[in-house]
Amino acid sequence: MPTEFAIETDALRKVYRSRFRGREIPAVSNLSLRVPQGIKYGLLGPNGAGKTTFVKMLLAAVHPTSGTAKLFGKDARDPEARRPIGYLPENHRFPTYFSGAGMLDFYAALSGVPAHERRRRVPEMLKLVGLEQWGDVRIKKYSKGMLQRLGLAQALMHRPRLLILDEPTDGVDPVGRRDIREILNGLTGTGVTVFINSHLLGEVESFCEYVAILHKGKLALEGKVSSLIAGRGYTVEATQVPNAAVAEMRRLGAAIAMTTDGLSVQVGSLEEANHLIDVIRAGGGLIESVSNSASSLEDVFIRTTRGEKAA
Amino acid sequence: MMTKAAVFGALISDTFQEARARWLFWGLFGLSTLLILLFLFVLKIDLVAGAVSLMGFEATTRHIDIHRFVMASYSWVSVFLYIWGTFLAIFASSGLIPSVLEPGRISLLLAKPLTRPMLLMGQYVGNVLVVASNHIYLICSIWIVIGLKTNIWEPRFLLAIASSLFIFAVLLCLVVLVGVISESSALSVMVAVAFMLISTILAQRQIVVRLLSSEWSRELWQGLYWIVPKVYDLAAAMRQIIVYDREADWVTPVWTSAVFGAVVLSTAVYIFRKRDF
Repeated sequence: MPTEFAIETDALRKVYRSRFRGREIPAVSNLSLRVPQGIKYGLLGPNGAGKTTFVKMLLAAVHPTSGTAKLFGKDARDPEARRPIGYLPENHRFPTYFSGAGMLDFYAALSGVPAHERRRRVPEMLKLVGLEQWGDVRIKKYSKGMLQRLGLAQALMHRPRLLILDEPTDGVDPVGRRDIREILNGLTGTGVTVFINSHLLGEVESFCEYVAILHKGKLALEGKVSSLIAGRGYTVEATQVPNAAVAEMRRLGAAIAMTTDGLSVQVGSLEEANHLIDVIRAGGGLIESVSNSASSLEDVFIRTTRGEKAA
Repeated sequence: MMTKAAVFGALISDTFQEARARWLFWGLFGLSTLLILLFLFVLKIDLVAGAVSLMGFEATTRHIDIHRFVMASYSWVSVFLYIWGTFLAIFASSGLIPSVLEPGRISLLLAKPLTRPMLLMGQYVGNVLVVASNHIYLICSIWIVIGLKTNIWEPRFLLAIASSLFIFAVLLCLVVLVGVISESSALSVMVAVAFMLISTILAQRQIVVRLLSSEWSRELWQGLYWIVPKVYDLAAAMRQIIVYDREADWVTPVWTSAVFGAVVLSTAVYIFRKRDF
């Protein structure tokens, strides 16, 4: 079924149980997220927020306790749903008996890339990530930055439509980070959806168009980065907002943060703020306040994860 | 269909690459080579005089029946492979499943468009094929060397490949199950070797059952005997067939062990499917 979303989750929930006492530990709670195709999306959150569990549920490495996850409209549990996905895991451990070229060839074979195309793609990808001289070298000789670039090449080998990167620049020096950013920027306009899971705010702010912040397993905030970090923006606080109005606000790209009594919505311009108020009021919601705001993504992140209202 | 076969082939090829990177597998092949060299260069057989010498020293003081000597060699090599070869192969294979389950590796494998059973079976079949290559290399080489030296070509000896590989494949199911549950290579070896020993003890049931006083303990012993793979019984049957060319009941040990292996491997696949990584 054709869909406009690369990732679509509905009330996705994961509860771990401690081995002996059976105590329940919620990792992700009722997470509903929609990532449109072709955009760069950042998933932020402090350590332990449930980001990696969420990503692993998308890739069927972790079974959800309840809820559904879809990739391009297909149930994420179906192996075929993972065919158009390129993935770079956090703390990856590529087998050290491979050479760089051998490793790319192996993972591409698992993705169903035919042998003749792999022979052509391997040198191309090694060149793309600047490792063309290292293709025949065992990867145990690679530095952390080189491994990360090789991992990125691995994720791109089969021309994925969705790239899921879990902490892609973790442990990489500034030069390596810039290299990775340049490779990812090269994907702009190709229609590839990039989903980055990171705790590096600057990286997400400079690269992503949309962002979601997870906090204690819940979606604390979601919206356009431009709305969140507008030098001058507006914050609308409202209560009793129906779900239909929230969905409409999401469609408009507003940054929505759930608060204890309602929600706090941030937009970049006066026109957007007025439109937002119309949407809320038309849905039967009550406007609590409207205020000017000026913030960086870091401000928003800290306020959100501290449990304060995003302003 | 072709894609699935290619993916399965890639998994098997990966197991071979990993095996090559492990010293234990080189040790396995090294030992096999030593044994082949022993038969090739050290053992000299004088067909006319009917004498056998080791490195030029006379090993026999009287004339011997060369055919009996060949059969004894077959027996020794097949038992050596069956017991020590299987033990070493289990030891060498024990780390392969835990290494695949390492956090940063399994999450990437699971992100590929392949099912979990396929992933596990790819590793299992790859392992069996790696060990099969060693067994074929050893037995076929010795068969050829002895055949060239004595002109005795008994194809029964080649059964040692099938029997040793079969029992390894059954015990590998246990290694996979323990590996999937515990991710411990040491525990995998311990459990597999324990089953080898238990099987040998249980096989003495004719004697033991007579010594047991209660009915329930006799039934328990018999029950366990039928459940556990028949490592000892299969070895005994193999020896009868290879060395003495006699009829032996190999069907019962094979089918009961195969059922055991299938149940254990299915359990491993089931647990692997249910686990979070």
